[in-house]
Amino acid sequence: MPETRMLLKNAEDPALRTLAGYKGYGGYATLEKAYRELEADEVLQELEDSGLRGRGGAGFSMGKKASFLPRGGSVDKYLCCNADESEPGAFKDRELMQRNPHQLIEGIAIAALAAGIGHAFVFIRGEYDSQADVLDAAVAEAYEAGYLGTDILGTRRNLELVVHRGAGAYICGEETALLDALEGKRGNPRLKPPFPAVQGLYGGPTLINNVETLSNVPHIVAHGAEWFKGFGTEQSPGTKVVSVSGCVQRPGNYEVELGIPTRELIYGLAGGPAEGREVKAFYPGGSSSPVLTAEEGLDLPYSFEAMAEAGSMLGSGSVIVADDSVSIPHMALRTARFYHHESCGKCTPCREGTNWTVKMLERVVRGEATPMDLDIVASVQENIIGHCLCVLGDSMAMPVGAMVRKFRPEFERVIAEAGHAEAVAA
Amino acid sequence: MAELPVDQALTEGRVPDRAPERVPELHEVDCPDELRKRIEELMSRYPDRKSASIPALWAVQRLYGWCTPEGIRQAAAVMRVTPAYLESVASFYDLLHTDPVGTHKVAVCTNISCWMRGGDELLEAFRAAAGEDPDFFVTGFECLGACDIAPMASIDERYFGPLEAAEAGTAIEQLRAGAEVLPEKALEKRPLPGGPDA
Amino acid sequence: MSGKEITLIIDGREVNASEGEMLHDAAKRGDVEIPVFCYEPKLGEPVGACRMCLVEIEGIPKLQTSCSTPVRDGMVVHTRTDQVKHAQSAVVEFLLINHPLDCPVCDKGGECPLQDISMGWGPGKSRMTDDKRHFEKPIELSPLVAIDRERCILCYRCVRFSQEVAEDEQLQLLERGDRTFVGTFDDRPYVAPFHGNITDLCPVGALTSYTYRFRARPWDIEQAGSVCTLCPSQCNVSFTVRDEQVKRVVARDNPDVDDGWLCDRGRYGFEMFGAEERIRAPRLRGGAEATWDEAIAKAAEALRAASVDHTGVGTNLAAASGNGGAAIVGDASNEEGYLIQRIMREAVGSPNIDSRPSRGPSREALVRLAQPEITARVRDIDDADAILVVGTDPLHASPILDLRIRKAIRRNGAKLAVATEGPTTLDGGATAATRYAPGNAGPFLAELAAALEADGPISQGDLDVSARRPQEVAGALRGAGSIVVVWGDRIGREGDGAVTALLDVTAALDLAGKNGSGLLEVPELTNARGLREAGCLPDAGPGLTRAPFGSHTSPNGASNGKATEEIRVALESGELKTILLFGVDPLRDFPDTQAWRNALAKADHVVCFSMFENATTAMADVVFPLETHAEKDGTVTHPDGRLQRVRPSASRPGDIRPNWGVLAELSLALGHDTGVDSQPSAFAALAEAVPFYAGITDADIGGRGIRWQDVGPEKATGTGSPDTQPEAPTPPAEN
Ligand SMILES: Cc1cc2nc3c(=O)[nH]c(=O)nc-3n(C[C@H](O)[C@H](O)[C@H](O)COP(=O)(O)O)c2cc1C
Ligand code: SF4
Ligand code: FES
Repeated sequence: MPETRMLLKNAEDPALRTLAGYKGYGGYATLEKAYRELEADEVLQELEDSGLRGRGGAGFSMGKKASFLPRGGSVDKYLCCNADESEPGAFKDRELMQRNPHQLIEGIAIAALAAGIGHAFVFIRGEYDSQADVLDAAVAEAYEAGYLGTDILGTRRNLELVVHRGAGAYICGEETALLDALEGKRGNPRLKPPFPAVQGLYGGPTLINNVETLSNVPHIVAHGAEWFKGFGTEQSPGTKVVSVSGCVQRPGNYEVELGIPTRELIYGLAGGPAEGREVKAFYPGGSSSPVLTAEEGLDLPYSFEAMAEAGSMLGSGSVIVADDSVSIPHMALRTARFYHHESCGKCTPCREGTNWTVKMLERVVRGEATPMDLDIVASVQENIIGHCLCVLGDSMAMPVGAMVRKFRPEFERVIAEAGHAEAVAA
Repeated sequence: MAELPVDQALTEGRVPDRAPERVPELHEVDCPDELRKRIEELMSRYPDRKSASIPALWAVQRLYGWCTPEGIRQAAAVMRVTPAYLESVASFYDLLHTDPVGTHKVAVCTNISCWMRGGDELLEAFRAAAGEDPDFFVTGFECLGACDIAPMASIDERYFGPLEAAEAGTAIEQLRAGAEVLPEKALEKRPLPGGPDA
Repeated sequence: MSGKEITLIIDGREVNASEGEMLHDAAKRGDVEIPVFCYEPKLGEPVGACRMCLVEIEGIPKLQTSCSTPVRDGMVVHTRTDQVKHAQSAVVEFLLINHPLDCPVCDKGGECPLQDISMGWGPGKSRMTDDKRHFEKPIELSPLVAIDRERCILCYRCVRFSQEVAEDEQLQLLERGDRTFVGTFDDRPYVAPFHGNITDLCPVGALTSYTYRFRARPWDIEQAGSVCTLCPSQCNVSFTVRDEQVKRVVARDNPDVDDGWLCDRGRYGFEMFGAEERIRAPRLRGGAEATWDEAIAKAAEALRAASVDHTGVGTNLAAASGNGGAAIVGDASNEEGYLIQRIMREAVGSPNIDSRPSRGPSREALVRLAQPEITARVRDIDDADAILVVGTDPLHASPILDLRIRKAIRRNGAKLAVATEGPTTLDGGATAATRYAPGNAGPFLAELAAALEADGPISQGDLDVSARRPQEVAGALRGAGSIVVVWGDRIGREGDGAVTALLDVTAALDLAGKNGSGLLEVPELTNARGLREAGCLPDAGPGLTRAPFGSHTSPNGASNGKATEEIRVALESGELKTILLFGVDPLRDFPDTQAWRNALAKADHVVCFSMFENATTAMADVVFPLETHAEKDGTVTHPDGRLQRVRPSASRPGDIRPNWGVLAELSLALGHDTGVDSQPSAFAALAEAVPFYAGITDADIGGRGIRWQDVGPEKATGTGSPDTQPEAPTPPAEN
């Protein structure tokens, strides 16, 4: 099954990132139609009917989330485009912003119209410096063309759009930590409830959506919900830009219909592992998704529901493939190190659980551990899951727990070998 | 008013060696005009001026190379917040440095996908090439969102990859010579893996 | 919490709560203890960081933090299921993996929530075998507070206090994840007026006071509750006493007075109690030690000289014209003030008694100011829609009110207007902050009253700058539902005109008509209101009644005595011969220091009660030692009318005797038996003399104090008839 390019359509054309280039392919026509002819509720209904699910990780229906914002009223409402994309294995938002920034801007403008929002921000991670420059240029063009600012296209609707660069913290991808960072604070998650849709940025109702989610909006409003549901599966409509990386010959972003067989994605499109190598395991939804062994996952359809059923999750749609040359215990340690480094430190189980897990796994790979330590590692992951203030702790505990469970023998072998080597060396 | 006995008891032998840090006045910090204007412009973009904290710290780092205590006090004076507030924000984020760093920044990704394809070795290569040169700040880094060009590095905020260990030395030399870095390995030049639209 | 009453089930038991209340608090009332670290209601919104308070709520799959989950009607909560115990045990184990466990050398040992909760809800052992996180320790966070970052469990309490309560924003969290630590900018010292509160807040031994490190263990000490009399905030304190000496002062949460906070003077000033400079026994001029009898006799002789008839005939006290003497009262309890004014008026026969640094409003003005319907309570600040601060900088005059006002602005969105002679620290948070020329509070208030009377705001344009200021303040106050006016008693020094202007503003704002509204005085003297109501005023006897001048009228017919300033002038001119100074140091605290120096030099007899030697005691003929608020036994009256009990908590150093007793003996020596032989009897005499204190007993005052305005008719068994309100001070016109 080849790619189904909708968001990445014409992405090869460098001119696409300019206003003229984008309009050349019909860009902003939907925005003009929506602002001039459609009512906010009509647009919102279309988005809700499309069944578009969040592409940032949670997979929550975008239309429904937008409908939670109080309608009308005088209170200031905000839209935050989550472009923090720091989940290991994820680089789809980068590609979308780098190649087609106007598609995102048009999506933001239409989503803001649907939810009656006057202020929008793109929170882009600080490391994406060149992509942020591309976005700044596109936003300037959009203002100039009258698609942003006050009295857009003479329809007395206003929208201010600010590109805000983060400064390097994965936690700021979490929606409430993003709000704290955007308010100029340390990026600590907030207690929920209240949910951002009710009380978010500066205390006002806020809609937070991922780059890819918002990039779908112009297509849905242009062609209608039914057209959009023609792609993907009943529960996971539309296409998904999947970032495939790790032990594959052609790593990169592939836009596919949800429900495509995972094997087709990894072997067909991404070229599978190097010659003579087999897939051992893979993260279906980025580093925070419990790994699936080749047997468990390769023949499942790549969709939200199928991944959930298999005990994992589609998440942000990033597949990291490990072939039989990769040591799972070392991969578990590398995963744990990421979450230990990125934990914001606010709540006890995540702050202490991540650093303790790293220390234990380091001992495991050095062979200074016993099988009982593996039970402690597994138990510590249990002690983290469900006890933290946000799900960053769970994002480590689930994959690490799954790896220790599914590859227990390999862990014990590493302990024995490294311990033996240690003994020999000493 | 002369000291009350209770105040004498409170302060005798307990005078702090340095002054506490309150919100500095503009005249107490000689904040360059361009930095002040930049921060004021940034503050005007947001409904609440405190949202300009991170962009202001970016401006300080771009001017002084890192978030110097003096630079933080200047930004604090313009934003009417305490330097402690800005330092606590700066110290939270990886890209904002509260210690001196070299002018050239090389961040080599050592996360899962890059680690699988030789990220650690690439980091060692860059460290060896840079040596003790204070002009270079070489560090391992978490996933930079470029796993498709693993193993990769962000050199002065531009992505390059996939890189061979040998290319680390080349890149360092190019940086020293002020030449363009590894032009053919720049991310921007990389096509979509699936090729043009089918 | 004033929400609707609801009921919920906790561990199978029904518990009543009000809507919006947090589950943890409702459980506490239902005798179900849920362990917490980061939750501290005094700090405002919960943060839900430590995860210690996780409980199971039926219908919700994940455990919920009870500190941040509001109660709902019909909610079913379990706090002892295995799932909850497992979570609690896990959180304790996590907290301890980087904890140094140096309890043997940690001052918090024995009173440490981490210890208690580890024993109560922890796993009992740790599976952690790797090395722990280390920090250099302890480090001087400030000259008074040490920080040990290894013990810190990152519960955010101290930084929340610095940022959201004291708002000095000097204490911050630095770095991220498990590298996070508490610190200040560039390692500068944390110097702020309330910073000591973080040692109370810290649930572990991370923040300790240098004044208490290694001084005592919990089993060596007793806690004794009293009231701090170092400033008019009159915060409730608890003294940590070992071997009858105060080793530490901690807050004793009283929401009606101090919201559970202390300023650093109140917390660390106790070291002066044991200072060697303290006067420990009576002495005569030149420093010669004296026995109590000698000293009292000398003082009596001095006061008796004041009561010699001007014609030099006879010493019959009753007939003496008695205006040769005067008394000025400062750091004194209600009972002491009451006894001193009885000594002067009845024993010495002099009306010259005052408790103000120079002068103040007339009795009539004070009676109008004291009307209960225009008096605000400290707690009213919390819910006020608008607050006017005029003629005082609360941070210096009554620090705890500064915190209270900040809280009202931050949590209730109150609008603040400030009108003072100089800049204040509250200006930053004020909707309108304006200045008036020194000594011109009266004219400003008059303009403000006029601006408020004018129905709409006059367009700002056509007013010159000085006229525009009252407009701004009026704008901030206009339309507010409830208003509290915090006013400095320095305004009273400008005389009755200023007080009238203040009352005009009160009327213009209709404070009497609005609930939760009124005036709140910030006097310079701690017990200004108590001494005023005990009768330490030249023109007013106990209960602000017309000055009872015993059986005499002074030669010029007026029964009123001299105010402090007039006393000074009369001493300088020789008209007055004897001066009794109780807990005041005119050469340090009063205006016109040089004039006072001349006055004291000119006086024949100077009798002092003082804690320390100072410039004034150097000029005294006899000096009696004064008790501190850790030794004093008596009552004081808070500016909002709350009688509070100062209880003796530590032993009196040296040969110091209870001051009320010394005054009673002094009166006896002057041939006038006050009948007072104990503190209760002194208070009973006071309550007898002050109509609106009538019927209030020591039990009523208890630990939290009682506002005489809140005393119901059934208590008024005193002079007023049972069915009437206690005879509040009636306006002058009537009697
Ligand atoms: C630790 C953590 C990191 C996250 N990082 C990202 C991110 O980098 N980008 C993103 O779009 N969403 C991220 N999310 C999900 C967001 O919280 C939020 O659900 C999402 O951005 C909402 O957008 P959507 O509904 O369009 O998916 C993260 C969540 C967590 C708990
Ligand atoms: S120092 Fe004490 S109060 Fe502050 S965060 Fe650490 S444990 Fe909490
Ligand atoms: S007490 Fe509830 S999370 Fe700390």
